[in-house]
Amino acid sequence: MPAVFQAVTVDYVAVAPMLIVVAGALVGVLVEAFAPRARRHGIEVVLTLAVLLAALVVLAVWSRDHLAVTVGGALSVDGVALFLQGTLLVLSILSVLVMAERFGGVGSDAFTPMGASTPGSGQEDAATRAGYATSEVFPLTLFAVFGMMIFVSANDLITMFVGLEVLSLPLYVMTGLSRRRRLLSQEAALKYFLLGAFSSAFFLFGSALLYGFAGSSDLKAIAQAISSSAGGLDGLLLPGVVLTLIGLLFKIGAVPFHSWTPDAYQGAPTPVTGFMAACTKLAAFGAILRLAYVGVAGNRWDWQIGVVAIAILTMVVGAVLSVTQTDVKRLLAYSSIAHAGFILVGVLAFSKAAIGGVMFYLLAYGATTIAAFAIVTMVRQDGSEASHLSQWAGLGRRHPVVAGSFAFLLLAFAGIPLTSGFTAKFATFAPAVASGTAGIVMVVVGVLASAVTAFVYVRLIVLMYFTEPVDGVVALPASIGSKLAIGVGLAVTLLAGVAPTYALQLAGNASQFLL
Amino acid sequence: MTGTGEQVMFWILGPLAVVGSLGLVFAKKAVHAALGMAMTMIILGVFYLAQEADFLGVIQIFVYTGAVMMLFLFVVMLVGVDSSDSLVETLTGQRWATAVLAIGLGGILGAQVGKATVGQSVGLAAVNAQTGNVSGVAQLIFGRYVWVFEATSALLITAALGAMVLAHRERLGRGPDQKEWSKRRFQEGKHLAGLPAPGVYARHNAVDTPALLPDGTPSELSVSRVLTARDQNLSPSTYTDGEREIERDVREGSER
Amino acid sequence: MSTIAALPGLVSLVAEGTDNPRADFSDTPLWLSLVKALIIFVYLLVSTLLVIWFERRVIGRMQQRPGPNRNGPFGLLQTLADGMKSMLKEDVRPKAADAFVFTLAPLITATMCFVSFSIMPLAGEVSMFGHTTPFQLTDTPIAVLLVLAVAGVGIYGVVLAGWSSGSPYPLMGGLRASAQMISYEIAMGLSLVAVFLYAGSMSTSQIVSAQSGLWFVVPAFFSFFVYVITMVGETNRLPFDLAEGEGELTGGFHTEYGSMRFAMFFLGEYINMFTVAALATTMFLGGWQAPPGIAAINDGMFNEGWWGLLWFTAKLWMFMFVFVWLRGSLPRVRYDQFMRFGWKFLIPATLAWVVLVAFFRAGQNGWLGGTVDVAGRSFPVVSLALVGIIAALALAGGWMWDARVERREARLHPHVPDEIDPYAGGHPVPPMPGQRLREPSLTAPALTSRPDTEEATRG
Repeated sequence: MPAVFQAVTVDYVAVAPMLIVVAGALVGVLVEAFAPRARRHGIEVVLTLAVLLAALVVLAVWSRDHLAVTVGGALSVDGVALFLQGTLLVLSILSVLVMAERFGGVGSDAFTPMGASTPGSGQEDAATRAGYATSEVFPLTLFAVFGMMIFVSANDLITMFVGLEVLSLPLYVMTGLSRRRRLLSQEAALKYFLLGAFSSAFFLFGSALLYGFAGSSDLKAIAQAISSSAGGLDGLLLPGVVLTLIGLLFKIGAVPFHSWTPDAYQGAPTPVTGFMAACTKLAAFGAILRLAYVGVAGNRWDWQIGVVAIAILTMVVGAVLSVTQTDVKRLLAYSSIAHAGFILVGVLAFSKAAIGGVMFYLLAYGATTIAAFAIVTMVRQDGSEASHLSQWAGLGRRHPVVAGSFAFLLLAFAGIPLTSGFTAKFATFAPAVASGTAGIVMVVVGVLASAVTAFVYVRLIVLMYFTEPVDGVVALPASIGSKLAIGVGLAVTLLAGVAPTYALQLAGNASQFLL
Repeated sequence: MTGTGEQVMFWILGPLAVVGSLGLVFAKKAVHAALGMAMTMIILGVFYLAQEADFLGVIQIFVYTGAVMMLFLFVVMLVGVDSSDSLVETLTGQRWATAVLAIGLGGILGAQVGKATVGQSVGLAAVNAQTGNVSGVAQLIFGRYVWVFEATSALLITAALGAMVLAHRERLGRGPDQKEWSKRRFQEGKHLAGLPAPGVYARHNAVDTPALLPDGTPSELSVSRVLTARDQNLSPSTYTDGEREIERDVREGSER
Repeated sequence: MSTIAALPGLVSLVAEGTDNPRADFSDTPLWLSLVKALIIFVYLLVSTLLVIWFERRVIGRMQQRPGPNRNGPFGLLQTLADGMKSMLKEDVRPKAADAFVFTLAPLITATMCFVSFSIMPLAGEVSMFGHTTPFQLTDTPIAVLLVLAVAGVGIYGVVLAGWSSGSPYPLMGGLRASAQMISYEIAMGLSLVAVFLYAGSMSTSQIVSAQSGLWFVVPAFFSFFVYVITMVGETNRLPFDLAEGEGELTGGFHTEYGSMRFAMFFLGEYINMFTVAALATTMFLGGWQAPPGIAAINDGMFNEGWWGLLWFTAKLWMFMFVFVWLRGSLPRVRYDQFMRFGWKFLIPATLAWVVLVAFFRAGQNGWLGGTVDVAGRSFPVVSLALVGIIAALALAGGWMWDARVERREARLHPHVPDEIDPYAGGHPVPPMPGQRLREPSLTAPALTSRPDTEEATRG
């Protein structure tokens, strides 16, 4: 170690999007502290959207010319990272638009006026009357986005771990802030927190073993150590890889590490569920891609078979259990588990085309799922979300546009041609087929699982259009923000289905890791 | 290169650390679990010190004693002073399944990791002498790991914000003051002179002894609701019985 | 793309291992270390015996009574007698107590308090049994942090005592102690950061030798101020002894303790006082070095060898007197005020101070521009600019504060007429200060003014 301190070089343009997001989060916290209560919601929404947009513009215009491994090797701002970060920013803008939905109230409709009040107590009503609102969710969202951006560009295990925590902690808090069914929401937050802590522990344990193996937490150094290993420390390698992967598979909700997903998705405020389903999944897959491709690809013959089994299990369990669900949010949760399995199939193909396919899938699925959850927030009975399937009966007759949009999104989930779901599955499965026997087996299972999930979605569509309407279920008129988010989600779903070339090309061009 | 002193220390403190961590898992009282954790963390700090990572060791002790103290406070405030774990299984067979799986995982990991052969350890002596221990840590934190270090602040801010959102209950409106209470009491027209005081006059005046009404029945109003709910009130009958006995004696005496 | 190059001035700061201790233990065999440990142990025990007597005598004087004066000359042996008494008393343990923890708690307090003293330099290099050795048990690059860490462990004694007693008042005392010590430890640690910045090391021997020119109490005066406050909070002494406030909690955490167990807490409290005072001496008052005037006599004759012990002890006892003085003159603060003071004043103010000191240090190292000569001495431009800015801010702040206070005063006390009619409201009213009485009008007051005044008196 040198006696003179050498500061690391920082490519500030490359990391500028992240810096903008975290600066915006800090300003948001200050707004919470100093702005008058009545105007906080408006200020926070505008600030958050402006910050995310600014970061997106900076990323698209300047950062993309600054591909670099920077900050001493902590971050690798390469094509994959930039594509995923850009997608993340787009998806989080959509999520924030949905979160800001007020339905005529004072604060966001989905969030409780006061998180600390006892559920169902008079204090909660008093807080509502006094015009309280949990506008802290917006800075929390920005912090989560910051963590996700670190996560997809982390080039060493320590950075990856800190990114994981920075993205998870705000989500734990936001999960527990639902306005309605507070107890369920709090229970969901606790479950999510506990299981998330376990997964972090697994990840950390694995990282420690990998560090012991390679003598460095740097992914590149680990890759080198694997290729030049003398054999003495090999015992640390496989447990290290397995444990880190378990930590990351927890986050995407792969079976058997999925048990938190339905509960957390059901209990969380619906816009947050959309955010988690789209952005957390994207960030976690970004990290898995980087770890698997850059770090531990060298010994993938040792661990790949295990992940193949997990992918198959994830697709099967996700698809089969979604059949039995009676709650829309739980149904979408199990569907997201199945989708995690589909994406995992692509990850395991280990080719450049697979990276592009996976990234395209993440973009398409994220846009679709945010729009779907945004529509779920709109459908109400007696003021609370009508999340039971029976309440959705006949929705198509009363609200043809809402139900039609939802049906279209469901078709995309099912992977019907002319929607993004089909092209995305194709882009992900094609490299898998090319990769060998295991890939072909996985693709066969994947297609069968898609068929099972398609049944679920079609059943829901039938329910919406071909049964008698339930009294009292209405779709609330959404604000311009929500409409915009749903519109963009639908547009992406449609465009990626009919004219996927541009997005596929972008993803394909970006699918190169910087070593 | 481990010295004899270090080896002796390790073999004394190592088992203690294991005992502490097992205590954390198996202790029935939450406070004992916290204590076990504190002990383990302090011993780990001592190990770091012994391995010449002075700064890390002392910070480990410094941070974890404070952290476990907070845990301790939360245990006392949330769980209760001397609550102990309920040992009822909510899922049947869960404990055995957990034990089998945990031991299995531990066995596999141990077997795998145990295969590794490590070379001679380098130690920090050279770095400490040249760069200095604290400066060395500083060079890493503000050099190679500066991004991680700064990102951690986002974590801390999130934690503070989350704590405020989830736990800070703002007072909405003003509670009634003494004057309003007294007005309210007079409007209701009950207990104008306040609630009756506890205790049987000249016999017992503890708060858990209800006062006696003129007809000799105990007054519910004179004792705290909490004590009543916990069934901790004394019965005033011992005193009333004694009194009756005296009255009988007096009567019998006067009749004689 | 921009790059932060290695700052040129950093070279001077991070020369080879400056944060390593200066004290040289190469001529110290193991047995000598044991001897030194024994000496420090005895030194502390004797000091404790003395300081308890000292405290009772001084407080006695302050309260115009003699204090203990029966056992031994001037009552010096009073503490010894008390100690013997508590050793011979019956050992009582409440039935509801948690037996193991109840015994463990006083042991933690009584043992941990001795540990911190191992890094205190009681004197410079002395010759002991033919060896030349620094008069401190050991020194490490993180010596001062060790004191804080040990204090952190020491709190467990108090908190566990409170919890394990199995009754409400001790529990409250224990909880108060933990909240109090953790809050004040933050401010204490922050106040020491300024000293680390000036000394460039956390080793006590380095800090003492860095003060050979100027004691840190001068450049780090605000840190000293904060440290002195927090050290009282940290040791649970009046006016911050909320953990054992006898008016509120009978005895606080040690309510249920008696005999030797109580004596251990007592011992721990007093040795902790010595520890924090010794740390203050080492960090701010030059440690064992002679006071400036005396240090110059005869080429530093009084600054060497065993003389250090004298100066160290003198400075230590000065702090002891401050402790006693505070106890004799201040009432206990209220708990919420105490916490508000710690969190809302001490911690933010100390944080700002540390940032300021960092700028001063950067200026001294020449990283932030050049220097100017003022009155024959050269000062960094940044430091002067900072001082100017702070002075301007203080001036502006003071002016605004004054204006606000004046406005508030004006609102609270609306203008009073120079002259009043004492019977204006119907019954006689005395004049306010500075008012003149009008000749009382003997006619009946005007009926119209009556409801007004009634309203006014009621409100």
